[in-house]
Amino acid sequence: MIEIDGITKRYDGTAVVDNVTMTIAPRTVTVIVGTSGSGKTTLLRMINRLVEPSAGAIRLDGDDNRSMPGYELRRRIGYAIQGHGLFPHRTVAQNIATVPVLLGWDKARIDAKVAELLALFQLDPAIFAARFPHELSGGQQQRVGVARALAAEPKVLLMDEPFGALDPIIRAKAQADLLDIQKLLKTTIVLVTHDMDEAFHLADKIAVMDKGELVQYGTPAELVTNPATEFVQTLIGASERPFRLLSIETAGQAVEPGTADGQPVDAATSQRDVLSELLWTGRDALPVAAADGTLLGKVTLEGLARRAARPQ
Amino acid sequence: MRAWLPSLLRAALLAFLLAFLVSPGWFEPLLKPLVQDNAPAIYNQGSLLTLTLLHLRTVAIATIAAIVIAVTLAILVTRPFGAEFLPLSRSLVNVGQTFPPVAVLALAVPALGFGEKPTLVALFLYGLLPIFENTLTGLTTLPPSVMEAARGAGMTDRQRLFKVEVPLAMPVILAGIRLSVVISLATATIGSTVAAKTLGEVIIAGLQSNNIAFVLQGGLIVGALAVLIYDGLSAIEAAMARRAGL
Repeated sequence: MIEIDGITKRYDGTAVVDNVTMTIAPRTVTVIVGTSGSGKTTLLRMINRLVEPSAGAIRLDGDDNRSMPGYELRRRIGYAIQGHGLFPHRTVAQNIATVPVLLGWDKARIDAKVAELLALFQLDPAIFAARFPHELSGGQQQRVGVARALAAEPKVLLMDEPFGALDPIIRAKAQADLLDIQKLLKTTIVLVTHDMDEAFHLADKIAVMDKGELVQYGTPAELVTNPATEFVQTLIGASERPFRLLSIETAGQAVEPGTADGQPVDAATSQRDVLSELLWTGRDALPVAAADGTLLGKVTLEGLARRAARPQ
Repeated sequence: MRAWLPSLLRAALLAFLLAFLVSPGWFEPLLKPLVQDNAPAIYNQGSLLTLTLLHLRTVAIATIAAIVIAVTLAILVTRPFGAEFLPLSRSLVNVGQTFPPVAVLALAVPALGFGEKPTLVALFLYGLLPIFENTLTGLTTLPPSVMEAARGAGMTDRQRLFKVEVPLAMPVILAGIRLSVVISLATATIGSTVAAKTLGEVIIAGLQSNNIAFVLQGGLIVGALAVLIYDGLSAIEAAMARRAGL
């Protein structure tokens, strides 16, 4: 659990982050959104003390994050950034091993961890371990960057626009992979982005920052149905609201009994994507199948329309 | 031009240089037309090989001292606590470069006596600037995302310096060292005006006895050394830059 308590950062008297208080539940994905200059990155960087706060405190599982030297704190917290920041003079394996080496793990443990992470991120160790970062594609570099952040098995992973430099197709894949890995490792993820689609896709809870203040902190559905300020509403986009609602949940959560014709959609597909498929193919309903192929039921146009409507 | 041609030329130059140093007598017929009757065509007041080795030793000592001081200084002034000393150290190093080596020799002789010592001082001062400026450039132009990642991973200041900053700046630092070595190789010859044992001795002897062959062989050996060392260091630099993916 991360407790952010009245945290403030001032530069030359101007508050960049102003008295923010929020609690991040363990094993969840929290996305901090806002425009540039809203203080979202500064807030993130105060969690691992890359920025020292002017006032307030941050507690990780109850311990003040100033109870140990900053570098020791940062070894316990994963950190992934835009443009990956890989060390160009070190191989992929050496990059991933950065924090374990700093922590003094023995070689066998480090090697096993590197191999495990490379496999987890779908990079064949035999091919990639000895390569240098400049020999990888953008998507591969980004995956190595996240693997490096997770190498020391941190409970918390901080991500600063980690997918910002990727093209849309690779980005969608990277987001899906991140969610899978989060479910597998149960890491608490705090991610900063200015991309609302990304926020709605990834977040269990969204924190909206505006001019240094936390203007709303809630589930994606709460943000859509009950925006706290004009700014939140603008950020979500009034015309996007029904689609945002649908993008939060999966087809599996909208299953109705019965059957329908056609190729089944995967239960993990977002309802928004199913709606798109229905509209495009001109159908009223599509069958839904679990990952193992068993049919669960159907999703109907009518059912989705009901779910997209403003809650009464 | 074929890719192997430069390497072949370098190898030929090295072979030629070694042959000349080990057995200068072989080349007497080539130099004979340059001298007046009865004058020696090959330097005869000492071994050319010994002088070359002493010349290289002088340059090596001065350069190593310059590397240690210039790199240390550049590292210190790029740390937060040393930032305010940056302008001062820049001026000091610049003075070292602008002060003519001959003047340094003249000033150093009364204090240090004749011989190698004043030459070392002159070469050391003269060699500081390129190494200092390049190290400074290398350390201040590192990619911000890499530096951010190094801090975020929990490296201490010292670990960042030795594991990330210096390795990444190394190609640029090496370029500075290369420049400094080549300048020193040429400048070391004037050390012989204050009785340092360098190849300058050959050139000075030639000037005093109006013997063009002496001047030529002294100059050519220094030139060949400079070319070969320059190329060698360039190759190391390129290999390191390739490795670093820069």
